[in-house]
Amino acid sequence: MLEVARLEAGYGSARVLHDVSLTVAPGEMVFVVGRNGAGKTTLLRTIAGLLPSAAGEIRFEGRSVAGLAPEKRARLGFRYVNQEKRVFSPLSVRSNIELAAHGAGEPFDSAWRRAVALYPKLDEFRELPAGRLSGGQREILLIARALAGQPRLLLIDEPTEGLAAIVIEDIFRILERMRQSVAAIIVEQNLAIVRRLADRIYVMKEGRVVHEIADPRKIAGAEPLECFL
Amino acid sequence: MTFMPERAAFSVQPAARGALLREIALLAAGLLLLALVIRVHWMADFAVFFILVLSFDLLYGYMGHLSFGHMLYFGAGAYGAALWLVYGNASAWAALAVGLAAAAGMAALLGGVVLRTRGASFALINMAFNEIGHFLVQSPLAAYTLGEDGLSCTADPLFGAISLYEDRWAFAFCGAVLLAVYALLRLLTRSPFGLLVRSIRENESRVRFLGYDTFRFKWIAFVIASTIAALAGGLFTLVQGFVSPRVISPFGNVDVIFAVLIGGAGSLAGALIGAAAFLAIKNFLPVIIPELSRLLDVKLPQWELWLGVVLLLIVFSLRGGIVGTVQARLRNRKPAGEAQ
Repeated sequence: MLEVARLEAGYGSARVLHDVSLTVAPGEMVFVVGRNGAGKTTLLRTIAGLLPSAAGEIRFEGRSVAGLAPEKRARLGFRYVNQEKRVFSPLSVRSNIELAAHGAGEPFDSAWRRAVALYPKLDEFRELPAGRLSGGQREILLIARALAGQPRLLLIDEPTEGLAAIVIEDIFRILERMRQSVAAIIVEQNLAIVRRLADRIYVMKEGRVVHEIADPRKIAGAEPLECFL
Repeated sequence: MTFMPERAAFSVQPAARGALLREIALLAAGLLLLALVIRVHWMADFAVFFILVLSFDLLYGYMGHLSFGHMLYFGAGAYGAALWLVYGNASAWAALAVGLAAAAGMAALLGGVVLRTRGASFALINMAFNEIGHFLVQSPLAAYTLGEDGLSCTADPLFGAISLYEDRWAFAFCGAVLLAVYALLRLLTRSPFGLLVRSIRENESRVRFLGYDTFRFKWIAFVIASTIAALAGGLFTLVQGFVSPRVISPFGNVDVIFAVLIGGAGSLAGALIGAAAFLAIKNFLPVIIPELSRLLDVKLPQWELWLGVVLLLIVFSLRGGIVGTVQARLRNRKPAGEAQ
């Protein structure tokens, strides 16, 4: 579904990603792990079209998407959930979903039903400005927003970063429900979640993919994932 | 994929319609009250300024694009109408239409350029175009605009009976247009389009990643804001019967920006309150300061200096503007019913 081959990217003249290759199959949940500064966020931002690639190839369903603007990638089904948990703060929770639903050409009602099914508490906060949600609730709202329309590929950056354990469990359940229904690349530091959900893991170090773990269940218990970091 | 809002989202729900009617009634009552407090012959000018400030609020308050060149479109509307009245015919409606068309065309064209920039560049490139417009009417087009001398023009009465040179009719007409503009902007800013424009102010790249071609929506908002500014300009010409390069001067942008900042950007009520407060300060300080000077028997500096001081005090003490500050205080008073 998604093929990234020999990708190079960075900020201005500073190259961050070097020769990065990865693949994502339909419905596959791929995790990217690595220490801070490994280039994980840069990788997601480049795939999302928020950063230009300097070299290499990004192909989605056989078609090159290099050079496509973020909105055009979004129309192909890409959805990017940023690390900063930034919602449209002054808009209500409802309006945040409404905006995403309109952009994706989906009626608001069905997008809202899906969001509430994902996290019933959203219904209580329907008219509350999204900026007044807690960090975890914002993350859930962002994921619910990303699911509007018919996403084909979710790009989620550190969904559990800085969240309390109880909220992490909520996020875990949401991600678990999404498995098999939509392909995803998730950058995550919480290795317990990675172990439980990953169909495939890429370990990054200094802007390069240094390990690919095609069947993470095989390493569970036998070889701690931490040893790859 | 295009932005295709559901019909229901654009239709005015009964509750929303009621709220809109209440706001319109409140605004009309406010205008009438203001007309009782100050002289009626000022009221048309006030209404024109209110419309201009509302248009700027769409651009700056809602979309987050600060422009130092909004007066270009006010001036285009004013000069378009005046030139039609002088060189075309005396129809007020046709003059207004020409002013609006000229400004809308100009905004459509220039919007394609200025909206490629953001922040300070956007503000300054707009000012540069405003300066070009100001220069054009002063000098190269002086054969038509009569340059610094300005252009006098006369419009026929509306419907053959309503003369806009009579203060009460001028006020009634400009007030009615103001109410219509308020209603239009109120519907627009609460529609999915309004949501989108506000979201662009928050973070444009995130909106793009929801699949929206943000440039197109910014361009539409820019053209709407500019055309409403031109409507204010056209009304100015109709009620004043005279235009000069002052109506297109970039200095006029300062008044509009201050008015929005005082009232609170991103709120139509804020824009109106800010415009009223600004006009009150600007019109009454020249009266109060000399009086105060005489009473205290002290030579006080010119009123313009005090205007600057008062405006700075208001802007710095009320960071969210009058409306933003009041809303924040009301919010803080409410018991914490926030998301847990």
